Amino acid sequence: MLKKLLHSREVTALAFVVFMFLGVGAINPAFLTPANIWLCLNSSVVYTVVAVGIALVIITGEIDVSVGATLGMTAAVSGTMIRNGEPWILAIGAALLIGLLIGSINGFGVTVLKIPSIIMTLGINGIVRGLIYVFTNGKWVENIPFDFKNLSQGRLFSSITFFYLGAILLIVAVHLILTRTKRGRYLAAVGDNIGGATLLGIPVDTTKFSAFALCGVLAAVGGVLFVSRVGFVTPIAGNGYEMKVIAACVLGGISLSGGVGTVIGAGLGAAIMASISRILVFVGFSSDYDDTITGILLIIIVVSDALLRRRAVEQARRQRLAAKTQLLAADGKEATAGE
Amino acid sequence: MNKLKKQFLRWETFLVLVILLEFLVFGSLNPKFLNMKRLFSGLNQFIPVCIISLFVTFVMITGGIDIQAGSIVGLTSITVGVLWHDANLNIFVACILALIGGALCGALSGFFVAYTGVQPMVVTLGGSFLYSGLALAVSNMSSNAAYQGISDFPEAFRALSKTQLFDAVPMQFVIFFVLVIVSYVLLHRTNYGRKIFLCGVNPNAAEFSGINTRAVVMSTYMLSGLSAAMAGILLTAYLGTAKADMGSEYTLPIITAVVLGGTSNLGGSGGVIGSALAALAVGFLRIGLSLNGMSTQYLDIPVGILLVVTVSFRFAGTNPKLRKLFSRKKRQTVVTRAS
Amino acid sequence: MNESVRLPDDAMLSVRGITKAFGSNCVLKGVDMDIAKGSVVALIGGNGAGKSTLVKIVMGIYQPDEGEVFLEGKAAKLGKPAASLAAGIYLVPQEPMLFPNMTVEENVLMGFMEKSSDLHKRLVTLLGHLGWKLDLNRKAATLSIAEQQLVELLRGLMRDARLLILDEPTSSLTFNEVESLFAIVEDLKAKGISIIYITHRLTEVFQIADRVLIMRDGVITLNGPVCDFTREMLVAGLLPPNADNHGAQTVCKTVSHEGREPALVIDHLTGYGFRDVSLKVYPGEILGLAGVVGAGRTELATTVFGRDTVKSGKVYVEGKDVTGLSTRGMLDAGLNYVAEDRFLNGIFRISDVAANTTAANLNHMSKFFINFKEERRVTDQFIQAFRTKVTGRDQLIGSLSGGNQQKVVIARSLSTHPKVLILDEPTRGIDAAARGDVYAIIEQLKEQGLAILLISSDMEEIVELSDRAVTMYCGHINKEFAKCDICQDHLMSAAFGVTEGSAKNA
Repeated sequence: MLKKLLHSREVTALAFVVFMFLGVGAINPAFLTPANIWLCLNSSVVYTVVAVGIALVIITGEIDVSVGATLGMTAAVSGTMIRNGEPWILAIGAALLIGLLIGSINGFGVTVLKIPSIIMTLGINGIVRGLIYVFTNGKWVENIPFDFKNLSQGRLFSSITFFYLGAILLIVAVHLILTRTKRGRYLAAVGDNIGGATLLGIPVDTTKFSAFALCGVLAAVGGVLFVSRVGFVTPIAGNGYEMKVIAACVLGGISLSGGVGTVIGAGLGAAIMASISRILVFVGFSSDYDDTITGILLIIIVVSDALLRRRAVEQARRQRLAAKTQLLAADGKEATAGE
Repeated sequence: MNKLKKQFLRWETFLVLVILLEFLVFGSLNPKFLNMKRLFSGLNQFIPVCIISLFVTFVMITGGIDIQAGSIVGLTSITVGVLWHDANLNIFVACILALIGGALCGALSGFFVAYTGVQPMVVTLGGSFLYSGLALAVSNMSSNAAYQGISDFPEAFRALSKTQLFDAVPMQFVIFFVLVIVSYVLLHRTNYGRKIFLCGVNPNAAEFSGINTRAVVMSTYMLSGLSAAMAGILLTAYLGTAKADMGSEYTLPIITAVVLGGTSNLGGSGGVIGSALAALAVGFLRIGLSLNGMSTQYLDIPVGILLVVTVSFRFAGTNPKLRKLFSRKKRQTVVTRAS
Repeated sequence: MNESVRLPDDAMLSVRGITKAFGSNCVLKGVDMDIAKGSVVALIGGNGAGKSTLVKIVMGIYQPDEGEVFLEGKAAKLGKPAASLAAGIYLVPQEPMLFPNMTVEENVLMGFMEKSSDLHKRLVTLLGHLGWKLDLNRKAATLSIAEQQLVELLRGLMRDARLLILDEPTSSLTFNEVESLFAIVEDLKAKGISIIYITHRLTEVFQIADRVLIMRDGVITLNGPVCDFTREMLVAGLLPPNADNHGAQTVCKTVSHEGREPALVIDHLTGYGFRDVSLKVYPGEILGLAGVVGAGRTELATTVFGRDTVKSGKVYVEGKDVTGLSTRGMLDAGLNYVAEDRFLNGIFRISDVAANTTAANLNHMSKFFINFKEERRVTDQFIQAFRTKVTGRDQLIGSLSGGNQQKVVIARSLSTHPKVLILDEPTRGIDAAARGDVYAIIEQLKEQGLAILLISSDMEEIVELSDRAVTMYCGHINKEFAKCDICQDHLMSAAFGVTEGSAKNA
């Protein structure tokens, strides 16, 4: 059991986070204060929630590059409603509905129309991005009531915000669903071996559709959180988020080919992504290098992952072939024994 | 090749019809659309996308994808600026170095795709982070502040885009036209281009035919990076400013143009003429709509819709359930190898 | 149409009149079969006989064009895998289809609807009862093939399968693992579970099966209790009628190769899937390489061609050492290979005939630009010479019939002007007329002085074309044949490992 834990990709990601923090702390001890660490983690809450959503899609072997647009749209809509004095419940509900709608459209395109997910979500991304402008008329959504913004500041024991606590609970809940429930396991099955899944009677299309729908909903949750944390919404809110959360998932051990990884890894990856900026500042680099570091990390991880996988496949093939040549000796023995 | 050409021409004819339709509709709605000078000037900012689409076609024919081209545009732009402004290199030498740089950027990702088997999407995702990060780093090396960008380029350089052939056709368009011819010849008339197709249709069979598939695949990414660098230089000459974040929004239009142009994301089919026509169609769509009052930020909506609608018709044909719905004929069983 | 069908009383599974065609290729031509409860039925057949298709129909993966399936006397509609699973049928595929990144337990329990804890208890009890040592928490990707097959078996057993289909279960197992498997099969039989056991290994048939069915060309040709047969009789059942006399010559003419250098020398070559293979092929001769699927012939060919690692040994083409060269190097040295799986490795499906023909030779036709004129000339030349039925040079190869596709692939392999040509299953899946054409082409090539290594599972073909022959069994060359010895009977026996002096039916 311990061995399994040690070899898991999540532990590697966690170890990476820990070493990263320690390493930075060594260079600049001011980094390792509890206040700062909590700051890093708390600020990653939006990334985390959206990353969990996209992790669901990636685990089934698909991709969704429209989550940033969904986040922006739901942030704009809920922000506007809250600013206009609508009950918060209504605003949040509207946001979730929109997220569900966008996710479902993506799911429909991929499972029914059989459009490759990269193209479908790319198109939807463009459409939703434009719709944000239509909705906001190009203006910022400002003057969000203080009470709503303050929600993001609420903390437990002056350390972890309620939002981040919620995110952690979300990760735990989703993880349990994915690993312990029948239907939850279907996601990984579909991504791991779609042929095998079909043979076992697993409803592949329904599973993928649900993943896209849930991803949309979680992106919407991210949108609402965004409004509270940032306090205003510009028409380009969420731009580029999709790439960041995909990177977060990869950093957290999720493989883009599907079937591998957990939402815990997504959460860890999100924490890494959010921290890189702050880390750079503490180490003395300009935060401009944020993207560079992310890019390098990403490339290193996926390349090593691909190489490892290649090696495993090749070894399995050779094992298989070696076994085939062995039986002659045995058969020979057999033949003479039977005389 | 004739039969293939015949098939191509059918899709490309469709694109030509789309363009004619656009002229008809937009021209009648607003005769200013038909003003050649105005048309060209509106197209100027879109030419970089058109150019890059030509060579991303090469990449997609091998079955890959390239989402880092936009970042290379910015990197090239700022590199030219910094090399000229701060390193005091001759502007054209700076351009040549930048072109080499662009090719190298493409080569890095291409190498990983071809020789380690990573998924093109992920590695070019990492590349997009890396190169935009590098662009920012390069801009920090300049004495000018990042947001200012570098300006005051010599006239000879600006002439790259300011000159007009026959006093009407801007240089950019001429360069695009030349590149269309070059890429067409390269892809459809040389051994190299033929190999690209073969690698995309069946990499195994290509290997058995003695084709070095890995070198071929890697080279397509180099070409794509090179074209992004070219686009970056042209854009810088046109705008007169070098900025690190140029091209950051190019990914959607580039992929749209290539897919709309008839290239399948599975590889093995496609063509530059289609991509060129599709890019122009998208460009004219944007110009026409903006001339008729649609604000620039909304323009992604129709582009996204165009992409989704076109692709859904292409792919919906592969969903057996849908085919059953629409056809009375007995469902064709897929031809598989019996054992 | 409701005909009343007479079925045996104790039949677990019965099929009547099953017909299945893929496109124009008719794979099953009216199959009748009965599987009694609690019996092990061995299903034997050569490559292409239709065994896999038949069991896939039983498993609900394919639907028959005609015919019916009966379960315990009642007609069953198995429209999708879930239906067969629900009916108690489980197919253990030859290549296990597990989820590599999930644990053994997750793999076995995937798709069940009951409570996790209940299932876990059931699984643990089952394992204890079977006495298997399998760590439920290991990731499937780390399991050996034998262990993966056990996991597949567990899936079937957990579903209380009443009919298990084992598709070549021992093809990748070691000797000890095979023994374990047999013990399991006996155990299952005792529990009343019926088993269809697909295999190439005749020894196993006698060890484990109660009845044996032989399939050939889409029909069952032999059917009866195992004790009624000897090995030789089984082999005979695999051959077409009158096969024994076909090809065997009374006068044994050994062709003298004196003074001539072999064009291809394979010297003690060991690679993945084969060991210590030594062969010589002379110019102007056809060496037939026979064996069953999985014997290692294709692995030998692809390794010789430079596509896989050579562990030891050497390969010489016209005296030149070409061991381990790149494919391009091999082509330039005068060796070419026509791949076994046309669809996977041979054709550029959505490219036209001309592109397919010249794919290997582009750089020799011109330096930089495609030499369309030369391409047209070469393509036309081959189309004429091979009588390939095409509407034009520009027809997409995917729309040609299998036979014509094969002609184009062969044309491509000849465009590099090889001295040695390895043909791997050149007539698989093509109709009789095209087959005749391909044979004529091969004969022509022989006359032109090419050295040809012909790999085929079709014994008739080996007999008809070869000047000499060898058989491969489990990765080794186990018998050589001079021209007079080449007949289907001998070849088939050797391919199935039945060589001189081996045990008759016990």
